[in-house]
Amino acid sequence: MAQPSPPTPASDEILPDESPDGVDLGLIRWTLSLTPLERLELLQDWVDGLTELRNGRITER
Amino acid sequence: MAESPSVKFLGLLRVLLRHGVDFFVVGGVAAQLEGAPILTLDLDILFDKAPENLSRLLSALHELKARYRDPAGRHIEPDIDKLKTHRMHLLLTELGALDLLGSIGNGLTYQDLAGRTVVYALGQERVHVLELAAVIEMKRFANRDKDRAVLPVLQRTLEMKNKPS
Repeated sequence: MAQPSPPTPASDEILPDESPDGVDLGLIRWTLSLTPLERLELLQDWVDGLTELRNGRITER
Repeated sequence: MAESPSVKFLGLLRVLLRHGVDFFVVGGVAAQLEGAPILTLDLDILFDKAPENLSRLLSALHELKARYRDPAGRHIEPDIDKLKTHRMHLLLTELGALDLLGSIGNGLTYQDLAGRTVVYALGQERVHVLELAAVIEMKRFANRDKDRAVLPVLQRTLEMKNKPS
């Protein structure tokens, strides 16, 4: 799946990348910018990648 | 050691929908569909335990060649009696791990939570998904290590979703 680029802020406002408790806010902003189908495809990519690693096989992407 | 198959989320959902099963997505996949970036390796659904729905669900499970994930390695298939009586069904299918739940949290059923779902379009499919605030409540209730670990991400996502743009 071609992964969409993270959104850029509309203004010069600098948005924090991380919350005080260490949550990656930039990643949340990105997933919120995706459609539900893209979010599911993203999860599928993560799971497929993890499964390949678990099975000891890394294929060209 | 045999390779473990990767769960195919959309494939599982399509089979359930094609058989007309009344369910909604809960757990980690619901959180991800709501925009929270968390990893999960199975699909959790809360299903309606109405008799006609159990028949449709069983039909879908047959197509998926579902069996229980039995630590002893026995081949145990779901049937109507088990679907009726057991609260939780941890299954392995030909499209990966599928967890069927008759209730979640403090015994909440499909009917109890039907008003707390959102509908998402996944291509041609329309899928009912437990809203993120309810997912957070269920994770807080379960209070296992793995639930507590993702709560900060879920909570921040909910805050960012609710923040006026």
